[in-house]
Amino acid sequence: MKPSVSYLAAIWTILRKDIQVEWRGRQGVPVMLVFALTIVFLFNFALQLSPDLQAGLAAGLLWVSLAFASTLGLNRGISLERENNALDGLLLAPMDRSAIFFGKALGNFCFTGLVGLVLLPVFSLFYPQNMLRLPLVLVMLLGLGAYTSLGTLLSALSIQARTRDVLLPVLLYPLALPILIAAVEASRGVLTGQSLGDVSSWIYLLLAGILLFNAGGLLFFETILEE
Amino acid sequence: MSTQTSTLLSQIEMRDLVKRFHHQPVLNHLSLRINDGDLCVLVGDNGAGKTTLLRILAGLVRPNHGIVTIGGADPISDPQVRRFIGYVGHQPMFYQDLTALENLVHYARLYQVEAVQHTVIQAIQSVGLTPYQDQPVRTLSRGMQQRLSLARAALHQPSILLLDEPYTGLDQDAAAFLDDTLQGLHTPGRTILLAAHRPQRLLTIASHVAWLKDGVIHRHLPVDRLGEDPELGRYLQEVG
Repeated sequence: MKPSVSYLAAIWTILRKDIQVEWRGRQGVPVMLVFALTIVFLFNFALQLSPDLQAGLAAGLLWVSLAFASTLGLNRGISLERENNALDGLLLAPMDRSAIFFGKALGNFCFTGLVGLVLLPVFSLFYPQNMLRLPLVLVMLLGLGAYTSLGTLLSALSIQARTRDVLLPVLLYPLALPILIAAVEASRGVLTGQSLGDVSSWIYLLLAGILLFNAGGLLFFETILEE
Repeated sequence: MSTQTSTLLSQIEMRDLVKRFHHQPVLNHLSLRINDGDLCVLVGDNGAGKTTLLRILAGLVRPNHGIVTIGGADPISDPQVRRFIGYVGHQPMFYQDLTALENLVHYARLYQVEAVQHTVIQAIQSVGLTPYQDQPVRTLSRGMQQRLSLARAALHQPSILLLDEPYTGLDQDAAAFLDDTLQGLHTPGRTILLAAHRPQRLLTIASHVAWLKDGVIHRHLPVDRLGEDPELGRYLQEVG
């Protein structure tokens, strides 16, 4: 008998498939990007703030854009598996089913991370700060890591529900609030010249979120998907 | 897995199986044993629980009570057992934007099939879809997607094939092609359990018929003994 598919190989296979589908259909990242950019443009013209106030608001606006755009990506990620019951194809495979969680979560993280990396230079055009700096990129990736892990877990929960399209945001936003607050505070700290060490408490909270939600995926993903 | 399982990997056994949806029992203390190499047609009215039974066997649904074994092992708790199962459901399970080839390559990787490209190309050829292998699945007809589903289910050479109403929505030509494909898939040592609402066309290739009624297996007979059971005979005549 052959050994079961190695865990990492299964995760990679699922991630690779998600990237391939996105590349072919281009229905996830472009939509997220347009949505996030629209928020940035709208707020910039609507608020008409002084440069000082803009600097303070930039972190908040960045995370509002990322959080809303990510939700679109999360919905797209799970609807892809719902279409034609493709999820069954993954569940049938001879592997631990938590690998599906990690494959999907990594895919969601990659797509939203890409949107974030495009968004940062655009922010720099409107706000009097260079947003493309390594500490901010690090905070953004940590925040998105926690947010997309939680989002992937909750999108699996909503897949069986009749009201799945509204269930995900209804569950996600309140539960992700501590993560979003930590991400905003850490981002604001970095943008106002503090070092990563100065905002370490917020960064620890983001790391705890990543650990907690991924542990949740490891332990409960199969149960969540059970009929 | 035990030695016993490696010798009887295509034997299916269900004991005292109960599955309820919203407190309504769909399967009610069902027991059935399908032997190595059988091609068993599962018949029953709409809503009788054929799909639920197949999904439990495939490890997609957990029963509320009872034991399911594939070669002595549980397909839900032991992921390795799922390697020996090929399943075709109501939906094709394909990613519509990917080509037929890309979809099968994805599944071949999930099953750790050796020589992925070669195996996939052979599988597509076996169901007559080579000219369409580079087309996105969304451009294929229902019949073509069904054939591709069969290729997907058999890609990893499973010893058990579970097919849920594979003839649904097929025209005469596609159904005839499916007959041939099914016969080709019924190789020695491979067990096939096929749910069919209208089973007549399958009786020429099936070895057994199992009748699911009121949540239990009402009859389970070899095809050559169908004449001994007028009630089942009448039912098969009625459903066509």
